[in-house]
Amino acid sequence: MSSRGSLMFLLHAHLPYVNHPEDSAFLEENWFFEAVVETYVPIISVLERLASEGIRPGVTISISPTLGAMLESEPLEDKLVLYVGSRLELIEKELERAQDDPALLKTVKFYQKLYEDAAALMHKYSGDLITPLKALQHAGQIEIITTSATHALLPLLARPEAVRAQLAAAAEDYEERFNRKPSGFWLPECAYEPRLNSYLKLSGFNYTFTESHALDNAASQTPNGVYSPYRTSNGLGLFARDAASSREVWSSKFGYPGDPAYREFYRDLGYDGDYEYLRPYLGSDGIRRPLGLKYHRITGPGEDLSAKEYYDPEAALARVEAHATDFLARRMKQTEDFHESRGTRPLIVSCYDAELFGHWWFEGPAFLEAVIRKIRVERLPLQFVTPSEYLNSCQEPQEITPGISSWGESGYFDPWVNETNDFIYPAVYAATDKMIETANRFRNQDLSSLSARALNQAARETLLSQSSDWAFLLYIGSHAEYAKGRVEAHAANAVKLLSEVIDKRVDEQALSALEQQNCVFPRLDFRVFASVSKF
Amino acid sequence: MPELSRPLPPEDRLVLLPKNPGTFFVFWQFSEGRADSFHTASFSPEIELRLSYAEDKTPASSHKAQWQAGRAYLPVPERGGNCEAALYALRSGAWEKLLESNPAAAPAAAGLAEDRAYASLEFHKKVLS
Repeated sequence: MSSRGSLMFLLHAHLPYVNHPEDSAFLEENWFFEAVVETYVPIISVLERLASEGIRPGVTISISPTLGAMLESEPLEDKLVLYVGSRLELIEKELERAQDDPALLKTVKFYQKLYEDAAALMHKYSGDLITPLKALQHAGQIEIITTSATHALLPLLARPEAVRAQLAAAAEDYEERFNRKPSGFWLPECAYEPRLNSYLKLSGFNYTFTESHALDNAASQTPNGVYSPYRTSNGLGLFARDAASSREVWSSKFGYPGDPAYREFYRDLGYDGDYEYLRPYLGSDGIRRPLGLKYHRITGPGEDLSAKEYYDPEAALARVEAHATDFLARRMKQTEDFHESRGTRPLIVSCYDAELFGHWWFEGPAFLEAVIRKIRVERLPLQFVTPSEYLNSCQEPQEITPGISSWGESGYFDPWVNETNDFIYPAVYAATDKMIETANRFRNQDLSSLSARALNQAARETLLSQSSDWAFLLYIGSHAEYAKGRVEAHAANAVKLLSEVIDKRVDEQALSALEQQNCVFPRLDFRVFASVSKF
Repeated sequence: MPELSRPLPPEDRLVLLPKNPGTFFVFWQFSEGRADSFHTASFSPEIELRLSYAEDKTPASSHKAQWQAGRAYLPVPERGGNCEAALYALRSGAWEKLLESNPAAAPAAAGLAEDRAYASLEFHKKVLS
């Protein structure tokens, strides 16, 4: 059956760069380990399984450079192996403990398979999960794009040099990792402003994404709304996020993830279990923390955590099937309604954080697989398409200038600029301004190896200080002290290194320590921050 | 209100950032010399932040603040669009312009659906509540 419309699924995979070689069990490194086990491995497994069955997934994945660096980091891979091994050891004990409780036993066995699958996939690729993603892209099964170097919210970087540095470092990082130039760019938090058009185009990107209400304030009429791509005056392709398909997946109130049968995220063995029993699996600080073994289901809206009932993986999977059917029925209705009113086939662009699938919404990867599989098996008149494929085959898109917007709360930049986090910006700008000044001063000079290393590390520290994650964590009050410490440390590291280069007194030992800890963008050249870039 | 726990290099800086269709965020720092002028009362402690339209430089609004506050939220002027900020201090009865900001564009307000599922925060709601 011929397609009545196209679906574009974009999964934005990102974590802030967290690497603490000084600590064998650093709390925030668990973000990475949990996401690998619950999100990245299950999604890669889904994509590989579909591809092996001849069902082309056709999804787009944005992999942030900081996440890419963590996925390729050998020290983190070593810790990840220990993490998974530790969980499997705990699961063995849990199997014993659950012997007389069949409902619990079923869920513990389910977790055993989850962690064994993670261990097997990591073993298959020698710990490097970029390898299967690269292979999937090479085989034309998926499209991989990038985002700003450290997930900086670009409209909050006032200096053009800072925006260019974020884009240049990201483009170079992508090319090194995936052996090709990136075509697409995910704007962190979907945060768009028109001045980014030229920077994106000059950095070699062909297209990006905006929030749906960016079209409301476009300088010209957009009769096709979010159902068609657009282009800017300088030829940058634009895809607008579809609100309806986003709401069904994202919303905890209206969306599928709130189903009573699905796994409850906030109840975890790490808080429920006997302390002495769990002590070997907690960090060196001994503080209770989530251990990833969550045995309960959502049960009901507003239900007290203590009143949650046991999770039943089979019942949850039945709901996944129902939700995938509902999701596709709604997309069919959207395409039919649009075709009826406009006479053309629409494009529906659905963008999600990848970590929503699996980590937050445990059943998300199964949902993704069910949606893709159903289109094929049920011969639905919908097709998955990637942005490059769509732009290559569609008519010349309409030219527009979208309005300033983001996909965050309230639609603009409030979560990243408010009384809980605004104090960080003077530090970020102090580092950024000094980095730009110093890059301009030294860009054409012959530098000693030590000075060049210090300048390059200062550039890494400056980029890391600009990450949107610190402001967001401060806003939600989660790991706030850690976030504050990271901004302050990166900004201070950058300023100190730059002063040391200017004063010709670089502390090599301290520099080496920073190079080991904050080792993103190994080939970064500080000149990306120069006012007239060499790139 | 949270603050940085490390001192910043003393430099002159005025930065204007967009927050939402109704609000700009502005922050400022002073070099040692300028800060001394406030400490020694050469300048009055109250400063004035003036917004102007970036395209034609016409004045848009002005707002008082204490020099040590370091940051403020300013309403976006009626016309919206691109604005610039300038920081003025009072010396011997005359206002002196000390700092100028970058231009910043205020977003135009869009009609957002009430049930809009905004990303990134949805699954942190329980943490916040």
